[in-house]
Amino acid sequence: MFQFDTLSMVFTALIVLGSIPNLFYSQGYLPHIERKAHYLLHYFTFIASMIGVVVAANALSFLLFWELMSLTSWQLILTEAKSKKTINAARFYFFMTHFGFVFLLLFFLIVTNGDLEMGFSAMHGVASAFAYPTLLFFFLVLGFLSKAGAVPLHVWLPYAHPEAPSPVSALMSGVMLKVAIYGMFRFLFDVLYPWPLEWGVLILVIGSLSALIGVLYALSEHDIKALLANHSIENIGIILIGFGMGMIFDSMHLKVLSSFAFIAAIFHTFNHMSFKSLLFMGAGSVLHQTHTKNIEKYGGLIKRMPVTALTFLLASVSISALPPTNGFLSEWMIFQSMLGSSHLDNTSLKLAIPFAVFALAMTGGLAIACFVKAYGITFLGLHRSTNAKHAHEVNFLMRTGMLLMAAVVISLMLFTPWYIGQFDAALVGLGHTSVYARLFPEGIWQLHSAGMHGGVVSPLILLGALLGVTALLMFGYKALRVKERIHRTWSCGYRTGARTQYSATGFAGPIRRFFGWLYKPDEHFHKESIAGHGSKFSDSHYEVHVKPLFETTLYDSVGKAANFMSYWVYRLSHFEQTRYAAMIFNLMLTVLFSYRIFAHEFSWATLLLEGTVMIISIKVLIIGEKR
Amino acid sequence: MIAYLLTIVLLLLIAPLLPSFIKALKMRLLFKKPASIWQGYRNFAKLMHKETIVSEEASAITRVAPFLVLSPLLVILFFLPPVVHGAYYVSFVDAFTITGLIALSTFFLMLLGLDSASAFGGMGSSREAFIAALVEPAMVLTIFSVSMMAGDLGVGQAGVNLAAHFPKEHMASFLFAAISFFILLIAENGRIPVDNPETHLELTMVHEAMILDITGIYLAIIETASSVKFVIFASLFASLFLPFGLDYSAPVAIGVFMLKLFAIAAAVALIEVNTAKLRLFKVPNLLGIAIVFAFLSLITFYVLGA
Repeated sequence: MFQFDTLSMVFTALIVLGSIPNLFYSQGYLPHIERKAHYLLHYFTFIASMIGVVVAANALSFLLFWELMSLTSWQLILTEAKSKKTINAARFYFFMTHFGFVFLLLFFLIVTNGDLEMGFSAMHGVASAFAYPTLLFFFLVLGFLSKAGAVPLHVWLPYAHPEAPSPVSALMSGVMLKVAIYGMFRFLFDVLYPWPLEWGVLILVIGSLSALIGVLYALSEHDIKALLANHSIENIGIILIGFGMGMIFDSMHLKVLSSFAFIAAIFHTFNHMSFKSLLFMGAGSVLHQTHTKNIEKYGGLIKRMPVTALTFLLASVSISALPPTNGFLSEWMIFQSMLGSSHLDNTSLKLAIPFAVFALAMTGGLAIACFVKAYGITFLGLHRSTNAKHAHEVNFLMRTGMLLMAAVVISLMLFTPWYIGQFDAALVGLGHTSVYARLFPEGIWQLHSAGMHGGVVSPLILLGALLGVTALLMFGYKALRVKERIHRTWSCGYRTGARTQYSATGFAGPIRRFFGWLYKPDEHFHKESIAGHGSKFSDSHYEVHVKPLFETTLYDSVGKAANFMSYWVYRLSHFEQTRYAAMIFNLMLTVLFSYRIFAHEFSWATLLLEGTVMIISIKVLIIGEKR
Repeated sequence: MIAYLLTIVLLLLIAPLLPSFIKALKMRLLFKKPASIWQGYRNFAKLMHKETIVSEEASAITRVAPFLVLSPLLVILFFLPPVVHGAYYVSFVDAFTITGLIALSTFFLMLLGLDSASAFGGMGSSREAFIAALVEPAMVLTIFSVSMMAGDLGVGQAGVNLAAHFPKEHMASFLFAAISFFILLIAENGRIPVDNPETHLELTMVHEAMILDITGIYLAIIETASSVKFVIFASLFASLFLPFGLDYSAPVAIGVFMLKLFAIAAAVALIEVNTAKLRLFKVPNLLGIAIVFAFLSLITFYVLGA
């Protein structure tokens, strides 16, 4: 029923590290929740079920806990179901998560031969005997990546995460998405092991796209929690880039580089858990005080909420992958593993991987822009609303939660070698080569790249050097005893006001304009001009909305197609029961025939015969005579 | 070790000289009466004696950020390739760390711009964020390509390898990478055509707009940071793309290195005199050229081996 190998334990540790600070935060948040019993019941079941998923040892318990995790998180989104928006978001999440579940179920039905209590290692034999392993791979990708939020199955995240109570968004974004990554590790390694090259390339492409698209939509977002949810898409993309590189190296028989890339992916999984939870907690505290998720209504909160501001700054620096933080270290490892691609003896791959390097570097640059925006507009400058003016620091329990999470971030930064040792052990447990000795050949001070002539980074020395130099400079400044005077900000002779500062929309303006072909922003600009002058106006109003491209194209058109088909069915059936029955009969026939064609050996003769039978049956039973 | 420390001190000392030199050269080329090349030091001395005025809307960030803008750049100075053959150098630090440290400095500079609640600060930060986001990929790709030619990802080691064995057989990709890196040098240091450091019009400022509300020692620190950044880029360009002259005796080698820095500064001045500042939305075209050259460099290296 349960297993406790190193991979499971590593991910259990992830869940525990993500949950303990959250418990404190959640306790502090509790007075604001009306349905306390409902919330607590689902909250604890949610955490327990996530642990259940990562320690499950057979398909049945895995699916049980997986479904329990989905259902409890769905109920948690509905905790404060006041608006129609929340209910729609929860419904969308429910649909997307079960869309993925169907594929997982199909996967397990095939690889277990119907015996759902079979262990994972026993599935390997069944899977390798199966004629279409790529189909199984696609089931896994659809099943897990719809949960993890990779392009193009990511659209639910920016809706579901903002609507949940903040501790829950922190758990969902920080921890639940990682459970899906665990699923990828577990089943790709245990069940589908020898991977063709194309799988790795597919994961790499999905990862690069998710990273770029996530960060671009995050930049255009004004809702702080939706912004963070979009960043989850980006970070899942980065994890998948590492994962994809690992798969590519493995299928090219570069075992050491492969382990290195996988370790980078797990490390980034941990890092994302830590800083994303912290960011969601910070956003939750701000939301708690200002009662709005709109980033344009914040400002100047650093003076009112110093603890929140400080922890949010730490997380922002870390998620922007700036040295010497943990986010930088894992992105550094992913970069180094990509630079290892120069050892591949496949020229087209060698030429293609720099494009992924480009995507990752671009993501890094845009993430910096996005977090300068998120931090600067939220915490710096003047307050932009009365609520922001009267905000004060959140209660003790919530602060404790944030500080504990900050401690997790710092521990990942300081004890990198120890964590990497655990990840290495997990990969060895999955049958990969150990690379710990190659990463730390000269003790814990320097982290080496696993590639030939790779780079080296020394997180602790960097941290020490930065702190030391900054302290020296500040000490020098103090020693000079400079006179300090406080005066108004200069703004061309006018008074500085909350409305004259740069807004979040304005901050992202250049980037939004440059990527206008992707955003296709919906702009509303209205001004009351004075006496017909173009440039003189008494009042003006500007609004911009960006609807994600994937939603407008992929999802809406699927909806339209479904509508069209149902209309067609309605036209054919005319509310006659016999015709409905005939349709169901034909559908079953199609399923049976396609199963036959697909699961057993393929022959053109059967296809032809069965196709003819189908056509006759449709003509006779459904369409009937022409009226 | 002495040469190593001496180089760092020397680089710090000439840091304010290079921007003043560019300015003086530009003025001479425009038939104006040139400003003194010591103007950088004079400004620094003047600012050190002033009181600091802090905006009343400013928070703790304004008091901390100037130090955090300068300190990553000072740390980078320790990681640069050696200028004298056989001198001590930190071989292991790779280009991502250096790019990351520069980004860390820019991150705090952008926060500083937003802190004083001034419209100009926000404007500068927003533009800087836009430019920095596009510089990052070009930078990573260029350095990737150079490190392939040098055979090592560590910047210090790459400089030594290139000096020991100039990549004549990879001349094409080497040149492409050099062009790309030079564009990045201009973009990252806010020189014309990306940004005009001497502008008096707030609406066209990028770097200057972020620090409009900074005075006194804080301003001195930020100005030092921007000149140190120029020195870092110039010496990276000198060590990676002009890797000669290390074999002479230590004083001559250091002299040659300084000459290279001044030659790069002169090239920047010539470009500044001959081009107009680009509109902000034309800047991506220039950076796009840098990105394309970086890709070209990698592709010629892989496919043609040239």
